[in-house]
Amino acid sequence: MEVEKVIETRGLRKTFRDFWRRPTVEAVKGLDFSVRQGEVFGMLGPNGSGKSTTLKMLLGLLHPTKGEIRVLGAAPSDTRVKARIGYLPEVSHLHPFLTPRETLMYYASLFGMAHGEAVRRTAELLSMVDLTQAADRAVGRFSKGMARRVGLAQALVNAPELLILDEPTSGLDPIGCREVKDLVCLLAKSGVTVLMTSHLLSDVEDVCDRVAILDRGALRAEGKIADLLRKPEAVRFLIEGLSSEAVAALRSEIEERAGCRVQLDYPAMSLESFFLQVVAQDGRLRTFEMAPFLRATQGTREGEGGACSKL
Amino acid sequence: MFKAVTESARRIWGVTVLAVRASLRTKGVTALLVLLAVCVGVLPNVVKGDGTPEGELHILLAYTLGFAFGILCLATLWAACALFAAEIDSERMSLSAVKPVRAAEFWVGKWFALLLLNAALLLAVYAGVYAQVLWRMHRKGWEEADRPASRRVTRPELPTPREEARQTLELMRQKNLTPKGLAEKAILRTLEERAQDKYDVINPGEQVRWQFRLLRPLREGAPVTVRVTFDTEYSTREHVKGVCRLGCRERPGKTVEVALDDFTRNALEFVVDTRAFSQGSGGRGQESGGAGGALQNFELTFAHAGDPKKASALMVRFRQDVALLTPGGSFEANLARAACVHWGVLALLAAFGLTLSACFSLPVAAFVATVLLVLTLVGNSVAEVISEEDASLWQNRVGIWVSRGVHEASLRAMQAAPLTALTRGERIEGGVLGASLAWNGLLLPLCFAAAGCWVLRRREMADAG
Repeated sequence: MEVEKVIETRGLRKTFRDFWRRPTVEAVKGLDFSVRQGEVFGMLGPNGSGKSTTLKMLLGLLHPTKGEIRVLGAAPSDTRVKARIGYLPEVSHLHPFLTPRETLMYYASLFGMAHGEAVRRTAELLSMVDLTQAADRAVGRFSKGMARRVGLAQALVNAPELLILDEPTSGLDPIGCREVKDLVCLLAKSGVTVLMTSHLLSDVEDVCDRVAILDRGALRAEGKIADLLRKPEAVRFLIEGLSSEAVAALRSEIEERAGCRVQLDYPAMSLESFFLQVVAQDGRLRTFEMAPFLRATQGTREGEGGACSKL
Repeated sequence: MFKAVTESARRIWGVTVLAVRASLRTKGVTALLVLLAVCVGVLPNVVKGDGTPEGELHILLAYTLGFAFGILCLATLWAACALFAAEIDSERMSLSAVKPVRAAEFWVGKWFALLLLNAALLLAVYAGVYAQVLWRMHRKGWEEADRPASRRVTRPELPTPREEARQTLELMRQKNLTPKGLAEKAILRTLEERAQDKYDVINPGEQVRWQFRLLRPLREGAPVTVRVTFDTEYSTREHVKGVCRLGCRERPGKTVEVALDDFTRNALEFVVDTRAFSQGSGGRGQESGGAGGALQNFELTFAHAGDPKKASALMVRFRQDVALLTPGGSFEANLARAACVHWGVLALLAAFGLTLSACFSLPVAAFVATVLLVLTLVGNSVAEVISEEDASLWQNRVGIWVSRGVHEASLRAMQAAPLTALTRGERIEGGVLGASLAWNGLLLPLCFAAAGCWVLRRREMADAG
């Protein structure tokens, strides 16, 4: 059975124009891609590659110059579609004079939520992003990381079926990055489709099932990360506890028998893993506890951990 | 259906609450409050009046309320210009625009926020002015006649300007005096405009008579105030010497006579006790039968008693300068009606600013709003001097159509003139209030809302990058 396509674009183009309607930049050039239900899809590319422009067109914030977009089976401007989407922009753009509680209540009201329900979800989300203590301080005085958490919470207030994250780890410290990636994985496991952009390759590699690589507005590659990165001609053994003599013997044996060159490599931890391991000793590393209303509204996709299983 | 309406109401309320919070938590509102406090608290004590209760009331009701209303007008206009523009410019709108909110819900929510804020501020301003009126009345012990009042205004029974224009046109046709090359519609329009402000001349020794029919019959014993304002051909101040006689058709044969000796361009007022029509008191009235019952039809005559050789002819605009004033509710109720009229005008300005805000960035919207406001105020005089002969070219016709449209719309918007009514002690009639609120608070805002929502639906809420 074919998996439902949550996002589909065909021949998507966006040309920005100046005041006199003269074309200035062609930001997206005939983009075709699709995101399937329940997957974590990453959009990679250098600065100016058209990632954010594509996201904004998917959200109806920008109008395509040409091409077609279907999001959850309808046009992005359809309010019924918007009710099922959560969006975290690259910069949170929150109202600085509002507190996190007021911010979440405001965005909940935009979904037409009843007051009681909005209060409950707000409390749960604040607890989830660990901002209960700061719930009544103005967002304008928050650090970038704290503001990002508020931004993330507002993106989840409607328990979205599709979550669109633009550079979700931008401005976060390694702990914050890890927490956000954990959350994306948790949401993905509960059935939420996630589309994220990033120019941090490790972020995408850690959480995404499939990626699309954009450059200068065009799609350069698309597919499962494992498929894209696989080198079928190479084999890697990971063996622990071998002495240097045993390694030398093994190497010459393989070279002799297989007649190919063996490259030796002593794997190290990634800096991120090492940092988190150090910080975890202080007990500062925590995992997002999914808000109960999110658990209640989403399904599960056990056994489909995808890239998240690496975390 | 009910669920959809409820959800829509919640979204609108959410937008309203956000806009109110945004306003209250900015320094702009603090500055506005200080300005209004200075205007209401300090201005009436700084401006020197003529020492009379009438002068003090004029300062409070015309200057203080006028200044405060002017400040609120500009503040509303600029705040409205900021509501969409600032959010779009700072990209905050991109977070709200991806939520399931319709353009109309955004527009109405923000408009409601301005209506709420304006209601609160107007209430504070009017309450401050009313408190000062009470305080002065109490401290200086104003007499009953000096206290602010609310009186119904009845104008003389005359043909409507349109009827008069038709009659004049008929006369012109009979005498073959109709201008060549002009459409009948254009001639009628000009004649109608002239009829509205037409002066009638009263030469020395002449007498004029006006009939009045009160909208509501007056109980006997209630006072009737006669108000007449005379002018001269060159608007110079001249002595008015003459006799006014007021009679009531329900009490035939009985008149109250008052000698006038004042200057032109002053509103000459005198109060007549209606008991005089049946009891013979007041003036040189004659006894007649028919005491008791309501009074509704009056007749006023004025005889120019100036020297035929020296005195100037007097001029009166029958439709504007002659009136009978009768008791019409309390001053407080009239003050509340004036506040409602002002609220309607502020609602219109809010709608205008919001629509500009949906179209342009904040500086452009604020600039365009201010310029258009000034042009609308000045444009009235432009519209008045345009003649039909200018309409030969299509550009001129478009210009005439636009300037007349703006002129008509602004005339209707300003028609209620609540401060003039308050200072003259004239009741703002329910019909005038209703028409003003319907025009300023509903019909024109609906047009602006339609335009604003059309733009919002088409405008991109984010930029490149």
